[in-house]
Amino acid sequence: MDPGPASRCFHCGSPLPAATSFAVQVDGGAHPVCCAGCQAAASLILSQGLGRFYEFRELPGEPVAGGTHNWPAFDREAALRRYTHECAGGERELSLQIEGLHCAACAWLIETSLKREPGVRQIHVNASTARAELRFDPRATALSRLLARIHTLGFVPLPLSFAGGAAEGTAERRAALKRLGVAGLGMMQVTTYAVSLYAGFMQGIAPDLEQFLRFVSLLVATPVVLYSAQPFFISAWRSLLARRPGMDVPVALSIGAAYLWSVVSTLRGRGAVYFDSVVMFTFFLLLGRYVEMSLRHRAGLQHDALARLLPDSSLRLAGAVAERVTPDELRAGDRVRILPGERVPADGKIECGSTDVDESLLTGESAPRARRAGDELTAGTLNLTGVLEMTVTRVGQDSTLAAVSRLLERARGSRPAVADLADRVAAWFVTGVLLLALGVALYWLHADPTRAFATVLAVLVVTCPCALSLATPAALAAATTRLARAGVLVTRGRALERLSAADRILFDKTGTLTRGEPRLEGVVLLEPRLTASECLSLAAALESHSGHPLARAFAHLTPAAGVSEVESVAGRGLEGVIAGTRYRIGRSEFVLEGCARSATQLTDPGHTSVVLGDTAGPLAEFHLTDALRGDARDTIQRLAALGLVAAIASGDRTGPVAAAARQLGNVAASANVTAEGKLALVRALRSQGHRVVMVGDGVNDAPVLAAADVSVAIAGGTELAKVSADLILLGEGLAPLSGAIETSRRLLRIIRQNLAWAVLYNLTAVPLAASGLVEPWMAALGMSGSSLLVVLNAMRLLDRGDGRSASQPAPLRKVAHA
Amino acid sequence: MSVVYLLIPLGLLLLALSVWAYFWAVRSGQFDDLDSPGVQILLDDDRAPPPSAPDSRDA
Repeated sequence: MDPGPASRCFHCGSPLPAATSFAVQVDGGAHPVCCAGCQAAASLILSQGLGRFYEFRELPGEPVAGGTHNWPAFDREAALRRYTHECAGGERELSLQIEGLHCAACAWLIETSLKREPGVRQIHVNASTARAELRFDPRATALSRLLARIHTLGFVPLPLSFAGGAAEGTAERRAALKRLGVAGLGMMQVTTYAVSLYAGFMQGIAPDLEQFLRFVSLLVATPVVLYSAQPFFISAWRSLLARRPGMDVPVALSIGAAYLWSVVSTLRGRGAVYFDSVVMFTFFLLLGRYVEMSLRHRAGLQHDALARLLPDSSLRLAGAVAERVTPDELRAGDRVRILPGERVPADGKIECGSTDVDESLLTGESAPRARRAGDELTAGTLNLTGVLEMTVTRVGQDSTLAAVSRLLERARGSRPAVADLADRVAAWFVTGVLLLALGVALYWLHADPTRAFATVLAVLVVTCPCALSLATPAALAAATTRLARAGVLVTRGRALERLSAADRILFDKTGTLTRGEPRLEGVVLLEPRLTASECLSLAAALESHSGHPLARAFAHLTPAAGVSEVESVAGRGLEGVIAGTRYRIGRSEFVLEGCARSATQLTDPGHTSVVLGDTAGPLAEFHLTDALRGDARDTIQRLAALGLVAAIASGDRTGPVAAAARQLGNVAASANVTAEGKLALVRALRSQGHRVVMVGDGVNDAPVLAAADVSVAIAGGTELAKVSADLILLGEGLAPLSGAIETSRRLLRIIRQNLAWAVLYNLTAVPLAASGLVEPWMAALGMSGSSLLVVLNAMRLLDRGDGRSASQPAPLRKVAHA
Repeated sequence: MSVVYLLIPLGLLLLALSVWAYFWAVRSGQFDDLDSPGVQILLDDDRAPPPSAPDSRDA
């Protein structure tokens, strides 16, 4: 079981901070929790008697973020109109995307808890899509109250505007289910009649009973052909119009021809009928398509980046009146006030105020950027420190954020080369099959006209290239889904093919192998004029004005008061006046220039260091380290076991890079590498015939990422790198990398198996069918079986070695079994 | 054998009924989420909220 449930938060399962004073009472025992948010959530859940949630959930929750959510903004008439629609009796209905929803137990928790709220008429939470449908009575309760309740339980509800494409997937799936159901029920009936007819054929049957059974079969088969098989006819027609015959052409041809032939036979009262084959063929084809579609839908269930980055509401100023509005209501030219801690709702220009803005989600630059009046702000960025007033310039679809998410969407839609190949092959194949069918028809019309139609039909059905065209997308969707579950977002299908063949992997250091959060390791006094703590508070005061990543190392210190005239010199350091003295902090050269002294020896080359000095000389040197990610070493070892040779290419100095390489098990490392140097490194490796994976955090390395065979970005990376990277690691760790490589290799293996099967099947089946040995119903069974086989083979990608519940802390298990 | 002239139309009637019922089930969203309802019956019980007294113990 979990090594130390006692040291983990009862609610969210994250490790407890050293001294937590928060706890909840469960069945007589006090269980520690990590923060006030988790305490509130756990207390609410337990006080409602919903403690079983903790027994049944599949994943530990997430820490309950305090966050700045302004739920009351959703109570305004305009917001209600946008997010909800009115149903009978003045009640309102809306859809919510729920963040942090992992399993059926979470869904149950929300449903049960909300049902106890007055005014809630109906709530259904769908665990597989993380969507909730809520119907409530606005006269009995406020929407904000319900949203706040969900938030208190530890989830973040995001109301979806009604124009959203949420309903589209549902509608598509329901339509497919209906078609499948009609075909399935029809198949059961028609097969029964067919068995009677075959039996009658052998033992003799009254002619009018036979005719009756044929009519009944016609009656049942008609809706199957006209309704269930409709998509095949439409798609075949479209592909013919585009002069690129797809796999649906022979399908539509065989269904249509067999049906019409059978109808004519039935009406004339003689000749063979093939209603059973038609219906069976339709059903199994639809089944294959349905499985493939649900795989695709699951892959498409990624969160809507736009909805997540925009704030729930923001303060719009209209003259002297300020009101909370949702981002959708903003128009270009509106004036908005943004408080510290709030996200920017739209692209705009600062009118007054200055602040630091965290743009990391957009630019990947982890350090906050200083912004003042006249500067541009981008929607979705986070205002950290000051109060701003901004004029909106672009909203909605015109905004930068929308453009970025469109790019991501497009990348997601691209298919691997194998899939394109399969489609191209399918087009030739279909043409070949049609010609073959024509040849077979001509031959049999000469040899035995009575069997000509049955044989041609068998050829058409048996050769349907569905296995060929269906197999690859299904396998791809399965692999994408599996990777998304493991925290890896695939933006380009082609990348998976190349990933499977990779043999070299190149890591950036800062922010990739390391956390990108420098920590202060030690202080070395260079002159004994000041104490270490005085130096630290001076440094903290200066660095608090810096946006450099290294400045974060000083953020937890108490800064000295009275800093003025702070000036930042890009790439070198900061200068400022504190209590009448002019100080500099930064690279040693920069500090030494400020005091006209030379030669200070850096004491330890294994660290990154920052020097503080005044006009008289350098005062102290601060050693900073950027810790390696916890799973970096393991990941590199597992990659090595998979045959990938790792190397580090970093722009950092030799000392820290060598130290990191040593800690990671003596991997090859090159330090002081510029972006051009990395590019050259990647190109050199590729020209030697290696397949190179480049892993970066995205800052300044987008071109390097693009030059590699496969690029991987870590979620904190630039949004630009996200666009150019093939894979994005969504979590904080590197561990999913090795899993991604294994999955890509299995994907390729399964695609090859499927293609091999399809070729083998056709090579054996076509001659048999052409020589008239295969009845149409056998052909339908064989072909459908073949398609189903490849789809099921693809589904194997979803299952094995998932291990989702392995690391689950189960604080209540003991109680549950007691 | 003339009984089949009665039975088969009856079967057709049943078929129509099942198609109608199936369409209704699909429309009312019964096939939208096939995962959570199976677990929900395990969760929904009428256990009272745990007593808040600190000295209560497990059974």
